[in-house]
Amino acid sequence: MPFYAVACVAFGSIDPIFRDAVPRWNPLTWDFSEAKVIFTSLTTGPLQGVAIRTVAYVVCAMLLCFLIGFPVAYFLARHSGKRKLMYLVLIILPFWVNYLMRMLAWVNLLSPSGLFSRFMSIFGVHYNWLDGSPITVILGLVYGYIPFLILPLYATLERLDWRLIDAARDLGANSRQTFRLVTVPMSKAGLVAAGVLIALPMFGDYYTNDLLSRSPNTEMLGNQIDFFLNASTQPQRGALLVLALSIFLLTFMSFYLRSTRQNVRQTTR
Amino acid sequence: MQRRDFLRNIVIASGGITLGGALLAACGGASTSTTVDGLAIGTPEKPIKLPVTTDAIADGLANETGTLEILNWADYLNPESIAIFEKQFGIKVTTSIYDDEAAAIAKLRNGTFKPDLIFGMSATGLAKLIAADILQPLNKSYIPNFGNVIAGLRNPYYDLDSQYTVPYMIYGNGIGYRTDRIDKNAFTSGNGYDLLWDSQYKGKLGVLDAPRDTLAMAMFRAGNFDANTSDPAIIKKAGDDLISLREATNPKVDILAYTELPAGNRDINFTWSGDLFTALQYLPEGVSPSVLGFWYPPKTITTNDFFCITKTAKAPVLAHQLINFLSDTDNALLNREYVGYQPALETITVDLLISSGTIPESLIDALVTPERYDAALSQVTLDPAVDALWLDQWTAFTAG
Repeated sequence: MPFYAVACVAFGSIDPIFRDAVPRWNPLTWDFSEAKVIFTSLTTGPLQGVAIRTVAYVVCAMLLCFLIGFPVAYFLARHSGKRKLMYLVLIILPFWVNYLMRMLAWVNLLSPSGLFSRFMSIFGVHYNWLDGSPITVILGLVYGYIPFLILPLYATLERLDWRLIDAARDLGANSRQTFRLVTVPMSKAGLVAAGVLIALPMFGDYYTNDLLSRSPNTEMLGNQIDFFLNASTQPQRGALLVLALSIFLLTFMSFYLRSTRQNVRQTTR
Repeated sequence: MQRRDFLRNIVIASGGITLGGALLAACGGASTSTTVDGLAIGTPEKPIKLPVTTDAIADGLANETGTLEILNWADYLNPESIAIFEKQFGIKVTTSIYDDEAAAIAKLRNGTFKPDLIFGMSATGLAKLIAADILQPLNKSYIPNFGNVIAGLRNPYYDLDSQYTVPYMIYGNGIGYRTDRIDKNAFTSGNGYDLLWDSQYKGKLGVLDAPRDTLAMAMFRAGNFDANTSDPAIIKKAGDDLISLREATNPKVDILAYTELPAGNRDINFTWSGDLFTALQYLPEGVSPSVLGFWYPPKTITTNDFFCITKTAKAPVLAHQLINFLSDTDNALLNREYVGYQPALETITVDLLISSGTIPESLIDALVTPERYDAALSQVTLDPAVDALWLDQWTAFTAG
């Protein structure tokens, strides 16, 4: 129903006096003129760059999340021993604080006079993190979403049959081969679930960019959706971008569902 | 959303807000106004006398007892001022907060908000409020301090004869800067706007996240002073110029000049004059207020917001009294200390503000004088098709 409501706004009209979106609930009356404008903008116009940038940022952030999160989850599942609970709490603890507050804290830390910037300057790193840099936005995304990758991954890895890994080693596989041929395939379901879990909100994220950059050079689709829906006279365009993003993300979801179905089949065989 | 978020949004929302033509025609208002998309609006060239569908309250009524309910932006009225008013009239003031003008009007229309008095609405919002028949006309016999209002605002184009509104705060568009990093003369020795295109301020520069304001600024730089132009070539050029600004300086597009300039994170920022007064509260300890400066362009947008009273007000007399209270010079000065923005009163002169010690001399140029208001350029409602042209250029700029 909410998706249908978004479509009714996207293909609806604008109140001539109050400039509110007027949804058209009857699909037979839908107006597709604005959809053409947005489609053109996404394919050949200014929004094309935003879409490409959004994909690039999310892919970079996801890769970093996997690079950092997988070893952490692996350590938690295999080597944390009696301190497992403590490590888990330490990972989760910062996330008891609201996302906005944590990002605002980073704004203070990363400002030229902030603690982090001053600390880095000890090592000769003089970098203005808040000057609208893509690196800051990507790192912000990583920081914001990495626990949502670590926790499901940890849950998957903890349930692995470690005897298979030991068997691989006994049969002559080195560490790298064991990881590539045994650990990764066995944790595939967790990797896909964790990837989907962080990719979906990252694609729609706008406040990370809002707080850490606010430069047009780092504008993401979420920022354009926020602008059109909340601060423009064309809320339909925001709804259309939501639809476009949703259709794009359905590919992720279909991959995830297919992967889940395959795992269920393998388990029940 | 704070007050400055509203300022960002009103200039966006102004693209297409119109009055009900039939309603205006029935009341004879359409003849003095211009029309957009078949409906009538007021402009500086063709001011509008708003339709009156109900009588103002009678003269000489006693003040109500109990509670006065106001609807306001967050932090847009000094709590100390409220306390004094409550004590003086022996009543209680309760406040509802709104963070978006359009959303607030929607809630006024559906009855979610039922205030007596509304603060901080814009001319655009007024058009909607009238169209929705939410306001009652004012009885100025309860507002003797109306005479303190800046002369040019006593009969504004959006509400001839001030039937429904009394101005509250006033502000203009210009450039805030750090005086310890930029010489004041740099603005006057050439085209002051060019500093925003200077790559030496890359990473240290901001512009307003307000499409109409910032695109108009690019137009003014190019010598086009029609802030409501429908000329596609001029609008396109403004968009192209902003893209060149983006490429030269990687600007921040936000409404945070009031924190970023005093913190030293920016050298220069296209912003609203009122932000510089608010910025004083964000100066780090030990930093002199004189580090803040403002260039008020000779021809720029200057505007105001206002008070208005709802038709369903349960305490209309008290609502008039609070307008009168805040239009008193001393009370307005006290309120300004907290709000930051400049009251739209003629009695609050530059000399008075400087001598009261609340504004440093370096910010004299951020004050809206009656002369500046008289020379002001105004933004009015755009035809939806023209509005779309502006929006397209803004998207091209912000899409990066």
